[in-house]
Amino acid sequence: MPSDTSNPKPKIKLAIYWGAACGGCCVSVLDTHEKLLDIVANADLVFWPIAMDIKYKDVEAMPDQSIDLTLFNGAVRNSENKHMAEVLRKKSKIMVAYGACAYMGGIPGLANLYSKDLIFKRAYEESESTMNPDKVRPVVQFEVKEGTLSIPEFFNDVYTLNQIVDIDYFIPGCPPQSERLIEVFTAIVTGIGLPPKGSVVGALEKTNCDGCLRKKTDNKLIKRFYRPWEIQDDKETCFLEQGVICMGPATRGGCGVRCVVGNSPCRGCYGPPPGSPDPGAKMMSAIGTMIDANKPEEIDEIIETIVDPAGLFYRFSLPGSILGRKLL
Amino acid sequence: MEEPRIGVYICWCGTNIAKMVDVEAVSAEVGKLPHVVLAKNYKYMCSDPGQELIVKDIHGHQLNRVVVAACSPRIHELTFRKAVEKAGINPYLFEMANIREQDSWVHTDRTEATSKAIDLVVAAIRRVQFHEPLQKRSVNVDPATLIIGGGISGMVAALEIANAGKKVYLIEKTGRLGGHVIKFDLTFPHLSSARQMIRPILQRVENHPNIDVFLNTEIRDVTGYIGNFKTTIRINETESTELRFGNIIAAVGLKPFDPSKIEEYGYGKFPDVITSMEFEEMLGTGQVLTKYGKEPRNIAIIHCVGSRNKKYHEYCSRTCCMVALKFVHQIRASLPSANIFEIYADMRAYGKGHEEFYALTTHKQIIFLMYDQQERLPVISQADRNDNCNMVIRMNEKLSGESIEVPVDMVILMVNMEAHENVKEVVHAIGVSLCGNQFFIEKHPKLDPVATTTGGVYIVGTCQGPKDIPDSVSQARAAAARILATIATGSVAVEVTTASTNEKLCCGCQTCVKVCPYSAISYNEEKRSSEVNEVLCKGCGTCGSACPAGAITSKHFTDRQILAEIEGIMSMSFKGV
Repeated sequence: MPSDTSNPKPKIKLAIYWGAACGGCCVSVLDTHEKLLDIVANADLVFWPIAMDIKYKDVEAMPDQSIDLTLFNGAVRNSENKHMAEVLRKKSKIMVAYGACAYMGGIPGLANLYSKDLIFKRAYEESESTMNPDKVRPVVQFEVKEGTLSIPEFFNDVYTLNQIVDIDYFIPGCPPQSERLIEVFTAIVTGIGLPPKGSVVGALEKTNCDGCLRKKTDNKLIKRFYRPWEIQDDKETCFLEQGVICMGPATRGGCGVRCVVGNSPCRGCYGPPPGSPDPGAKMMSAIGTMIDANKPEEIDEIIETIVDPAGLFYRFSLPGSILGRKLL
Repeated sequence: MEEPRIGVYICWCGTNIAKMVDVEAVSAEVGKLPHVVLAKNYKYMCSDPGQELIVKDIHGHQLNRVVVAACSPRIHELTFRKAVEKAGINPYLFEMANIREQDSWVHTDRTEATSKAIDLVVAAIRRVQFHEPLQKRSVNVDPATLIIGGGISGMVAALEIANAGKKVYLIEKTGRLGGHVIKFDLTFPHLSSARQMIRPILQRVENHPNIDVFLNTEIRDVTGYIGNFKTTIRINETESTELRFGNIIAAVGLKPFDPSKIEEYGYGKFPDVITSMEFEEMLGTGQVLTKYGKEPRNIAIIHCVGSRNKKYHEYCSRTCCMVALKFVHQIRASLPSANIFEIYADMRAYGKGHEEFYALTTHKQIIFLMYDQQERLPVISQADRNDNCNMVIRMNEKLSGESIEVPVDMVILMVNMEAHENVKEVVHAIGVSLCGNQFFIEKHPKLDPVATTTGGVYIVGTCQGPKDIPDSVSQARAAAARILATIATGSVAVEVTTASTNEKLCCGCQTCVKVCPYSAISYNEEKRSSEVNEVLCKGCGTCGSACPAGAITSKHFTDRQILAEIEGIMSMSFKGV
């Protein structure tokens, strides 16, 4: 990308926003290091709460379609997230769901294994550090003598961004790799090589095993599953063949297989490959074929060694999966 | 994709469906759905006029997809596919909804059965929109046949095929042909000589110009597919000739159960407790003698040893009761004054001439004692020095309800027939499945008892389950007839709804390779992708569901088709969350 600031081409207007997120996606933008200067050379940042002091009302006052590109990270967990998703959609030409939470629901999406009531009960009554004998819980509106105080409404469900507003592109990752951001940003700025609306960008079609350098064979027969800390990893054999569940085969490549390079199994943050309707179901189906037993009791015993299957197979994808949530 | 134009036909099946399902309501309801051009109901869709109706509508209304809601697709899917094909549409652009076996026959509430029928038809309508045309394929058949196992069933099958002028490779693991039958003295129920029966068969096999016999020979791997298999046989554990053949018959047989694991009987501890197979060999010598060379005065024959008992094998070995009765005749002939005790759990005399044989045997001055297999097995112990016998059997006699002691000098254990330990090697090599008792599984237990789910692979004789000589021979001749039919035709149709791999998506994890029951998938190191051999593939779908990368598509069972079907089921009457 040319970094020549005398480029007569007008800068694009860029917004970056977070919903239910940890902040890591915003940091991943900063992680572009000196390339950030290239971004800034080509874009005017009009809204980025982590870095700039601009109020919601300023965004609401912008003309519709005036922002060229919005990178929205984080899931939609409350009315504030939803409101800003709707405002930004209206103000933006291109809206990108940036990162696993916006794309599939992400880690916050695991809250769909519970209800709002159960979460509040845990957070405001039961947690070890809570002292709340009156069982006070947050309310959306509260009257005080100065007037009405309000906070966003906490939804019962966590939503993916696409479940709330129409999305142009999806960039997976927890967080997305900064190199991929640069590639996608360049494509958007230049308009060259942009795939059809609705595509996942900044990721490969093949899943992670393709780029994984560990030794793989067809000998995937598992007598018991291990959590990564329960086993001495030999640092060269396929994690699955060692009995450690690795989401690599069911997860799009593009991250550089970083977790596995760091001797940790893939957790699945890049989401399912194209055409896979449900990443968790695909992986469970595959795992089912690896269980080395014929007797039902023995199979049950081996399955028991998979701790927290919902959180394992749907770690980043529960709200966006066919499953959606746990029925309570 | 062209705009779907779907014709839907609801069958009454006389009153079979119509009495429990409001067929008018179903056709009216599904007729409102998008892409449904017409929805009709008719008395018998499978009849000629029913099929004609479909053909006429395809032409008259330019239909390009058809749904028939009737009986099980197992019964008439082929009928309707042919009808659709006759009208010029690819037969796979058709879907069947089963509203008889899965609806009208199993429900008693007409309103609910009707609403279920609507759900099932809607599911089929949603699904058929995603169907893709598939093309029929066939492969040529090599006229040679490989037969594994030189027992009576293997030899009979070999002769049947060889006599028709076709090549047979008969391989036998041991150093001689004849299997177990050649070790028998007499056969039941006619007490004719086993040797006289099998010797001529054996000679014909050995001298037949179309049969190549390989002794001390085993196979490790068979590659290829129906019509075109090959293997390298191993003679005396060294690699040898490569053979090519179009069909395979497995006739690997069973082996006698080892009774030493049943403590009560003391086999191995008492020298005169012997198995039925050992007694057969003794009969071959012409003398019935104890280990010390004395004529036994008291002989007990214990039935169901290792059979019909959850601790050992739950199944019945089918032949032992009759062999035990046969032994009575043979013992009585050589020892006219001996006491013979038949200690049985149940007398099974189901075959042709068997009940008569049982009746005949009861006149041989023998004592029948019944024990309860579930309660307590008879216990054999050493007799006291003062007793006038070798051993004593203590048992609860079931009919009298009394605990008794039976004096014996010799005990014959009617041992169960069980699978060989090394059967798994053959199973893996030829791609058949085993049941829980390690017997080879036939394609259909009633209608296709000698074929397997792997095309071109047949199973005959006791490897499919314990059976007597006539049953084994029937199977052998049946399999030979099936094979000769494919050789005569020269080619066979192969599965159309196979799996295929998308190299662009395959990540090379190789999860699919081992799950394939037909060894149809291999990993191509160069392309770093799995490959499905579509001739070997039976379309079972295991790999498609196992593939975590979504790189394997099972034709006619794609994710999109199945999800559309599920969405259809859920869309109408389902009032869940």
